[in-house]
Amino acid sequence: MDKLKDETSEDKEKVVPYKTFEFKGNGKEFFRIWIVNIALTILTLGIYSAWAKVRTNRYMYANTYLNGSNFEYNADPKRILIGRIIVVSIYALFVLFYQQLMLFKIAAGIALVAFIAMPWLIRQAVSFKLRNTSYRHVPFKYKGDISEFYAFFLIHSLLNIFTLFLIFPYSYIQFKKLLLNHSYYGQGKFNFSGRTGEAYKIYFKLFLWNIAFLLGVSLMAGLVTSTGIALLEALGITLDMDALKKMLSPEIITLLGSIFLLFSYFTFISWQKAFADAYFSNFMRNKTTLDKAFFRGNLYPFALGMIGVSNILAIIFSLGLLYPWAKIRYLRYKLEHTYFICQDYDQFESEGYEKGSTIGEEMIDFFDIDIGL
Amino acid sequence: MLINALMYDGKSSKEHKVVMEFTFGRRVLISSHNIDVALDEVSIESRLGNTPRVLNFPNGIRCKSTENDKIDQVLRDFGISKSKAYKIESSLALTLGSVLITIGFIWFMLTAGANYTATALASVLPQTTLDEVSEMSMNQLEAHYLKPSKLSEAQKNIIQTHFDLLTKGENQYHLHFRASPEMGPNAFALPSGDVVLTDELVALSKDSEFRDILGVLAHEKGHVVHKHSLRMAIKTGVAGVIIGYITGDVSVIATMVPTILINSSYSREFEREADAHAVKELKKMGISTKYVAELFESLVKEHEGLENNNSMMGMISSHPLTSERIEYFKSYSQ
Repeated sequence: MDKLKDETSEDKEKVVPYKTFEFKGNGKEFFRIWIVNIALTILTLGIYSAWAKVRTNRYMYANTYLNGSNFEYNADPKRILIGRIIVVSIYALFVLFYQQLMLFKIAAGIALVAFIAMPWLIRQAVSFKLRNTSYRHVPFKYKGDISEFYAFFLIHSLLNIFTLFLIFPYSYIQFKKLLLNHSYYGQGKFNFSGRTGEAYKIYFKLFLWNIAFLLGVSLMAGLVTSTGIALLEALGITLDMDALKKMLSPEIITLLGSIFLLFSYFTFISWQKAFADAYFSNFMRNKTTLDKAFFRGNLYPFALGMIGVSNILAIIFSLGLLYPWAKIRYLRYKLEHTYFICQDYDQFESEGYEKGSTIGEEMIDFFDIDIGL
Repeated sequence: MLINALMYDGKSSKEHKVVMEFTFGRRVLISSHNIDVALDEVSIESRLGNTPRVLNFPNGIRCKSTENDKIDQVLRDFGISKSKAYKIESSLALTLGSVLITIGFIWFMLTAGANYTATALASVLPQTTLDEVSEMSMNQLEAHYLKPSKLSEAQKNIIQTHFDLLTKGENQYHLHFRASPEMGPNAFALPSGDVVLTDELVALSKDSEFRDILGVLAHEKGHVVHKHSLRMAIKTGVAGVIIGYITGDVSVIATMVPTILINSSYSREFEREADAHAVKELKKMGISTKYVAELFESLVKEHEGLENNNSMMGMISSHPLTSERIEYFKSYSQ
């Protein structure tokens, strides 16, 4: 944090106060909202899910504070419901033709149309998220052109296929530029100036960390098992492998084995995701400006990694009941390690609210696509 | 009533500290900004925990107030109904009720619910659909694992007669004789009622009248009667949705988890159910269950021998052969 002050004081003559984002939600309160959402969704056969989504997002946004003011989520649940119905019907039609009626040509037609519409839908989703978010009653806005999306997806899918994804960090930077450099808060313009070399560096670092981590874990596991066996032998207990084999039927061994593997997999993936999230969040924040104001990320990869792992363990052992707590904990860490450095919070002029299609957003939601906004 | 709020004009990000006054004439005043509007023109968003309440005024003006309790009081005083969602969320009993509904629903869908849904779905799905799906898998199997049977006509006739007796009056069932060195001794049923029996299994039979094979066929019919494939699909689907929702962030693998877990634990339940069906059918036909028990015993031996050969048998066989199941048949064989 001292470093942070130095940087800012060098940039400007006057020391501009940096503010961290604050998160004021709490697990107990969110648990109630979450569980009522699920129960009402079940009772209404899914219709309430649109309202549930709005309530969840409203809760998260409204509890996010910057400089004493909170954010607002303004999506209309009725429009979300319409978007959901359209997406689910198209998917249902596809499944019907593909799996049930075996009319593969029609199914392929639906898939092709969906594929061609994909860049448009992704742009729709980006636009939806931004225009429904506001801060101090001034909405965000996306002004990117649809042709740029088509150009991006065409060029970068080909580039990645031919380079076996070695060029992916470059695509990552270009996509973030496509998103952020056309994003506005009121009339304030976002600008992302990350460079490809920096993205490569992060991917390389993550790659090395993952290898080191996997090696470390297997070493630890080996050490623990061998000392465990040595300890047992020292105590005069010998493991009768044959007796053990007879005791456990092959099915039980496979079951235990797959549970253990899944468990390790979940733990590792959660660690890895949170760890990488911290690196990329810092990178994104440090390279993004809003007019003359700028962001700083101060996330510690190890700290966020530990939060990720303990979250998944808490979720598994509570059979999902600690999900709201875990979600809030993760979000709080990320927000409270994000800074915004701005001279004047009153300066942003609004261009007003817009309405638009919800199909893109609901498609992204339904297929759980992460556009990483 | 006076309520403190922050006001935004919707034109810029400027923030104004204001006091809203709710008057008895159902009007809202913000005197510092010369605002005087009817209460009914102000839309007040539903309460959400203790987040600042949003009040939207005409002309794009928005106020936010943290004095939620006072606003609720105003709503009560003026007879405007509070949000139902907040009522449920703020009531301990209703929140607990939600927990119970959720857990109950998941439990139900993974147990009895899957059976009801399977039955309901099966009655909605036209039989032609089931047939077509089965035909697809049958074609796949024919192409990769199944070869024409080398059984003699006499052998086939005996088994076919058993099968016809077993499925008397139900014309959805068809028996297919096939050889399959890859699968080894095996029998399986498709949801359409097509039952496949391998020569390798027939070869293991020690009964000249093939009463043991009849037991196996009755078992396979049990799978069809109890709609096991559909039930499995539903349970896998439900578990997939739940796990996917809860783990959210790790959804890549989430769809595979239930398949692995359910296949190994539920298949035993299904085998038991099919076994019970076989016992029932055999009893009805007056045939002892000892033959099929013996066949299972020789299958276990065969299985142990094959394990060392690294055969496909262990992987494909959907029938975990346990001494428990053999004992089960034996217990009915007096």
